[in-house]
Amino acid sequence: MSGSLLFFALAALILLGAVRTVASRDLVRAVLWLGIVLVVTALMFLMLGAPFLAGIQLLLYTGGVITLMLFGVMLTRRHHEIGVDIDSSRRLLAGIGSAGLFVAMASAILRTDLPAWSGSAPVPAIEIGRAFLTDHLVAFEVLSVLLLAAMIGAIVLGRQRDFDDEPEPIHGKSRHHGTGGRHGKDGHP
Amino acid sequence: MLTPIDYALIALFVPLAAAFAIAVVTPLRHAGRPAALLSVAAALTSLGASLVLLVQQSSQPDRVVHEAMRWLPSGAASLAQVGIHLDGVSIAMSVVVTLVAACVQIFSLGYMADEPPAAQGRYFGYHSFFIFSMLLLVIAPNLLQLFAGWELVGLTSYLLIGFYFQRPSAAKASVKAIWVTKFADMGLLLGLICLFAVSGGFEWTATLSEGWATAITLLLFLAVVGKSAQFPLHIWLPNAMEGPTPVSALLHAATMVAAGVYLVVRADPLFAQAPNTQLLMAWLGGFTALFAAVLATLQTDIKRVLAYSTCSQLGYMVCALGAGSSIAGYFHLTTHAFFKALLFLAAGSLIHAVHSNELSAMGGLARRMKLTSAVFVVGAFALAGIPGFAGFFSKDLILESVYEAGLFVPWAMLIAAAFLTAFYMGRVVFLALFGPCSLAAESAHESGSSMTGPLLLLAAGSLGIGYFGSDFARLSGGSYHFHLGMSGMLGTACALAGLLLSWLIYGSRRLTPQTFRFLAPVERLARSGLVDRFFEFAYRRGALAFSDAVGFFDRYVVDGLMNWIGWTTIVSGRRLRRTQTGNVRDYVYAVVAGTVVLAFWGLSR
Amino acid sequence: MTVQALLLLTSGLFCIGIYGVVTRRNAIALLLSAELMINAVTINLVTFSRFAGGVTGQVFAVFTIALTVAEVVVGLAIVILLFRWRREIAVDSANELRL
Repeated sequence: MSGSLLFFALAALILLGAVRTVASRDLVRAVLWLGIVLVVTALMFLMLGAPFLAGIQLLLYTGGVITLMLFGVMLTRRHHEIGVDIDSSRRLLAGIGSAGLFVAMASAILRTDLPAWSGSAPVPAIEIGRAFLTDHLVAFEVLSVLLLAAMIGAIVLGRQRDFDDEPEPIHGKSRHHGTGGRHGKDGHP
Repeated sequence: MLTPIDYALIALFVPLAAAFAIAVVTPLRHAGRPAALLSVAAALTSLGASLVLLVQQSSQPDRVVHEAMRWLPSGAASLAQVGIHLDGVSIAMSVVVTLVAACVQIFSLGYMADEPPAAQGRYFGYHSFFIFSMLLLVIAPNLLQLFAGWELVGLTSYLLIGFYFQRPSAAKASVKAIWVTKFADMGLLLGLICLFAVSGGFEWTATLSEGWATAITLLLFLAVVGKSAQFPLHIWLPNAMEGPTPVSALLHAATMVAAGVYLVVRADPLFAQAPNTQLLMAWLGGFTALFAAVLATLQTDIKRVLAYSTCSQLGYMVCALGAGSSIAGYFHLTTHAFFKALLFLAAGSLIHAVHSNELSAMGGLARRMKLTSAVFVVGAFALAGIPGFAGFFSKDLILESVYEAGLFVPWAMLIAAAFLTAFYMGRVVFLALFGPCSLAAESAHESGSSMTGPLLLLAAGSLGIGYFGSDFARLSGGSYHFHLGMSGMLGTACALAGLLLSWLIYGSRRLTPQTFRFLAPVERLARSGLVDRFFEFAYRRGALAFSDAVGFFDRYVVDGLMNWIGWTTIVSGRRLRRTQTGNVRDYVYAVVAGTVVLAFWGLSR
Repeated sequence: MTVQALLLLTSGLFCIGIYGVVTRRNAIALLLSAELMINAVTINLVTFSRFAGGVTGQVFAVFTIALTVAEVVVGLAIVILLFRWRREIAVDSANELRL
């Protein structure tokens, strides 16, 4: 069926993109691969009969989050070290752990009886809107308060603050033993 | 008109008030003489009150006055009571105690005059406290108060034996006395606990099954063995002679050591229910009498002779009680109080005159100190049981009772002891009073009237008390008729034989100790101090080893467990601390790992 | 396109996200990997909404997306602060809360 072929293609793209996101040394490339993952996810939503959600995904995620990430990457670059991002020594354990988790979840999924494709119509946006304003009204309102709080928090955090002295660059972890008291942040002179 | 209870309270608390005043008012104590006179006055007041009670009791011998109040309340009834119990037995004993105590205190006015005033104050304070403690014991309405008095008397004994505490031997002697008696008092305490557990009270009128009666009386008898210096716990009494001589006269001859005998007399209803204990008492008492008499013949220190003699006479009393005749034992206790106190005080005068305890330093003192020597001879005859003197009547009664109870071996031991008693007293008399004057004796002189007065009074008692036997028995709730049976005659014959032998050896020097070479092994055995060595061995190997083991257990097991818990806490804390790296990625890693584990666990169920 | 296939897809995505979170040292890369995980959850929600009927799943998916956006906003603010403090954004550098 063309539907399942399309599905498998999209799924493969998603997984590939995810792998490239976590494995990419260059930060910008990682962000862009994440963008690809998010776009393909939107397409997947279309296939699942959620057009409104697909639109939201493209707008907020791809448009907003990726942009923000790129800004963040650009603002926090060290000029002499473009693209260097050292990975950890825990790769093996993490790989085993996540692979194991996948195996466990997969076995659980495959053993369970789940309903088959029912082929119903895609859900119009109006239904979602109705649900928001009737069944999930409280959550909706709280969500708006949350977004407000997040904005204010980000503004507060992002203010320029006065530091007692220049922030010092560190080379490796060892220089920070016992020097915590010299920064004005934690209140000890 | 004062009630009997009032008299008893006067007798009890006036000496306590004097002791308290002497203890608390330091200038009074340091002045010496005023404290002494206060104490003597208190003793005489006590004596007066006791005599009034005695007169009252003689007219109605069966009167019992019993007043008790709650002391340890528990629930509706009280756990223990304190109070006063006045009957013939307790009143007679309180008269004896206060009379001898008063005589001893008056004697001490002269005897202790050379001591520093502060020491004198202390001495008389202890004496007053002793009167209080002993009377507390004597008029106790139940065994618990008797126990309280018992312990207080033991305390006073410790304080007075160690009166010259700067002398190491005196300090050691007082500690030895209190160790041995405390060990024995365990028996009293355990016996009281058992008595309470079985009968719900501390009364000596409780009825018990024979098994319990035997157990409890055995425990009480252990305390008697300690306090009344029976074998094998007699070891403290000779050392107790380190105290001043009047103290020896009062505590370790007349009254305190007699407390053990008094306990048995008081608890006679209990002991009557335990014939096995009584059998043991008879045998042990008889053996002690003989054993101590043998040791007395070997002593060179006049006070030690008298100490072992006290031991021996207490053995007589215990044997009599074991034969079931508490009247015999109690009668002998009374007569013994008089003549033994007399002997000690007179010996004190002799010692004071020659400034030494040793018999070798004395000799021919009869010429220099006529009065003292005369009363000493009176006391010696009374102790030996010469007919007419007080000791004769009580000893005769004991011998008869023991014979009639069918206890022939103890009886034989008592007869032998009678022979030896007369022998060693004769030895002392001939060595100290007659014969050539020793160097120190040349300058001896008679003591002052404060010392000779009490001696005369006690001598009169030693002569006369014996004739009041039937009155005494009536007071104690029994009957007594004097008759001279086979035992009495045999005993008297032995006494006279002993005196004769001592005259032959020490008086007229016709026989020498060499003639008795065949008794040398006995002498070696007696001098070896085996009992002391046994106790020391048992202490070192037994008690110390046990406490080492317990100490080891405490230090390494109990403390070790606690220390290990603390050490484990610290070490595990130190190790767990390393998880707090401060590194965000480590925490993320931990969260993820935990999630994975949980997922696996959840999925596997 | 069965439910199992979709769920397998999302679990795989989730596990890849876990790998990324544990492994990466850069703070922004960490956030990216967290994004992957949240995305997987969103797909799951929509899947269940699809196959169980009703619209609740999609509503939740909208909530999730909104919350994620808020989280990214605040997270980036913190990353900026971290950068200002330490001149680099390796999360290892923020280890003051060490015992």
